[in-house]
Amino acid sequence: MRYILKTRFYFAFASIASCWLTETDCGCLLCLETSRTNRVTFTSLRTPRSREAGLSISRKPVIGLCNTTRAPSGEKGVMVILREGICPGINEEFIKALQSEDIKTVEDFVSCNPEELAQKCSLSYKALVAVRRVLLTQYTAFPVSGADLYEELLSSTAILSTGNPSLDKLLDSGLYTGEITELTGSPGSGKTQVCFSVAVNISHELKKTVLYIDTKGSMCANRLLQMLQTKTPNMEEQMEALQKIKVFRVFDVFSLLACLQHLRSNGLQKASVGGGSVKALMVDSVSAVLSSLLGGKQNEGMSLLMQVAGELKMIAKDFNITVLVTNHVTRDGNGHLKAGLGQSWSHVPRTRLLLQRVEDAETSSLRTATLTKSSRQVCHLVEEFDLCHWSEERRTSISGKRKLEERSKP
Amino acid sequence: MHRTVPSLPLAPSVKVKLINAGFQVASDLTDMRPLQLCKEAGISQEEAVEVLQMLRDDGQPHQQRAATESLTALDLLHQEQALGSIVTFCSALDDTLGGGVSMGKTTEICGAPGVGKTQLCMQLAVDVQIPVCFGGLGGKALYIDTEGSFLVQRVADMAEAAVQHCTLLAEDTEQKQALEELTVEKILSNLFLVRCHDYVELLAEVYLLPDFLSKHPEVRLIVIDSIAFPFRHDFEDLSQRTRLLNGLAQQLIQLATQHSIAVVLTNQMTTRVSNGQSKLVPALGESWGHAATQRLILRWEGLRRLASLYKSPSQMEATVQYQITVQGFRDASDEHRPTPDTSAVSSQLGNHSKRPRTEDLS
Repeated sequence: MRYILKTRFYFAFASIASCWLTETDCGCLLCLETSRTNRVTFTSLRTPRSREAGLSISRKPVIGLCNTTRAPSGEKGVMVILREGICPGINEEFIKALQSEDIKTVEDFVSCNPEELAQKCSLSYKALVAVRRVLLTQYTAFPVSGADLYEELLSSTAILSTGNPSLDKLLDSGLYTGEITELTGSPGSGKTQVCFSVAVNISHELKKTVLYIDTKGSMCANRLLQMLQTKTPNMEEQMEALQKIKVFRVFDVFSLLACLQHLRSNGLQKASVGGGSVKALMVDSVSAVLSSLLGGKQNEGMSLLMQVAGELKMIAKDFNITVLVTNHVTRDGNGHLKAGLGQSWSHVPRTRLLLQRVEDAETSSLRTATLTKSSRQVCHLVEEFDLCHWSEERRTSISGKRKLEERSKP
Repeated sequence: MHRTVPSLPLAPSVKVKLINAGFQVASDLTDMRPLQLCKEAGISQEEAVEVLQMLRDDGQPHQQRAATESLTALDLLHQEQALGSIVTFCSALDDTLGGGVSMGKTTEICGAPGVGKTQLCMQLAVDVQIPVCFGGLGGKALYIDTEGSFLVQRVADMAEAAVQHCTLLAEDTEQKQALEELTVEKILSNLFLVRCHDYVELLAEVYLLPDFLSKHPEVRLIVIDSIAFPFRHDFEDLSQRTRLLNGLAQQLIQLATQHSIAVVLTNQMTTRVSNGQSKLVPALGESWGHAATQRLILRWEGLRRLASLYKSPSQMEATVQYQITVQGFRDASDEHRPTPDTSAVSSQLGNHSKRPRTEDLS
């Protein structure tokens, strides 16, 4: 049987340790074949970029590749230790015999050749093949056809408006669920304010729950209340909207990972309150916890960065929510601004916006947003917007200016 | 227990051995005994005990709650309204900051030499001790001095001026009673001073702060004056400096949030040359700018001292004028008050040599 999978196929990070592609968006067409011995192999039909990315084409059985949501056991990785009782036919002596050959996990067992194994240790070939078949069916992920994937994408993706027409124009009508969007900018450029405005818009207009992970202590509920007061004078509506925003305060990377893993396992259902399901997760900022770990003689920084990226992507995909993160900027050798956390992080978000102040403006709350990475629009589009007047479209005509002056400060 | 083994706070070498042995999720490890773990993973006895200890602590309710507990924004609003703020005695600046220096956040004060950063820090260290019945916080202060610019005589002058100010305000019996206890000696005795000579001492001091704060829970303000000085001279590896500073910033904001205290940091200015023009910008690099929650820039304009709020999560940008008098940090007197100036902080070069301190009697 052949299953043809379309492009944009996301792989889970941690379960694919050494030889497979850990980066996504390779844009290649994959072809999965299942042969009679229950091996699932894949060959790549069109591999312009996959070769650069180091995609390894081999005949090793692929276990747990594909989307983790398809994995039947629900486990994240499949390096499951061989213990007695995980399948009939595995008992103490079986495990001891395998351990003498240095086979400790399911993956090790399934990757080796049963004939050689039968010769080396005292187990019968028949038993080995039977156990192997059971383990493969238990732990293999199912391939999915491209058409089904596309249908699922159409039905489950939602677009959340940010509330500001200029930003919506840049983002192709809003924040897409199942994706990570990133905001970068210098200090004081308005990243936290944009996060607040989006959170208020989602909780008040769309009536959905927002999860806000604050790593810098910049969450200020007074400011949220101020923003809500400009939208509605009704106290009850304001309180209701405030109750739909949940704040987590974590200050280092291990707490962040604990928080994200807790959310992924059972926290999201618990967090949905009053009928409004969770539709957005914001992390402000992801660079505050990660930038002190990268560089120098530290060898764990990249791994932790990739774990955070993996958790965010899995939460976005599995629960169909949109993830908005903020990042800091650094200056390169020529003095130009570039986003922080380096090249590795730059592949993680799907869309990136750079916020900047407008020099010599008449109101100090004007900002420009530049689209620096997008899969849907032409890059380097620039839009101007006003932090104080979130729902208004920015007009540069004289009538627009007069309107801005008449409005009182929130 | 849904933690994966790579995300646990353990040494990387131990984690690699655990993963190679097949442990992927923390729940795989909970039923193991130290000897068993030792044999299966090939780690030493002490490491095995450490791993299991960490997992057991992680399962404790109060530890887990820190990472998984969430507050709704409404609860947070009630909490914020209960916290006060530290007045600076300059009413224009207090209005800009939303009542004063806010609790639970880190505030960074940047400025050229002689503009008044240390004066403001000393004023805040006195103001945090104003009793609750006068609208203050009644707390103690910790002053970490790295430059050696802390002068006790100046703090004594400011304390006396504050006591006099409160005496003029005292109306009812409760306030009069509190006033009897408020003396210059008491204010000075509630101010803890630490002198750090280089960045290693500063980092060590910040590591020891959680113990210090649990022993002195009345401390409501920590001032580090200045954080730039030990990191600017004698530091060869700039990327290491950035990493250390970012780690320091995260520790400070964690302390500020957990104990509801205000953390004030002082920074210096440096010159950035671009396109043939030079601009005064805060020192320690671009990524340090993201570290503090609020940023206040003090600068000269001719003979006037101006303070601009450059970055804040809850307040609008604004520029106000202030002055330094014998009594301390005060509002500018009426003759010098400027028209409201809301232009963005950009290249306003003032004279940045230290000015002779003229006696300004307001």
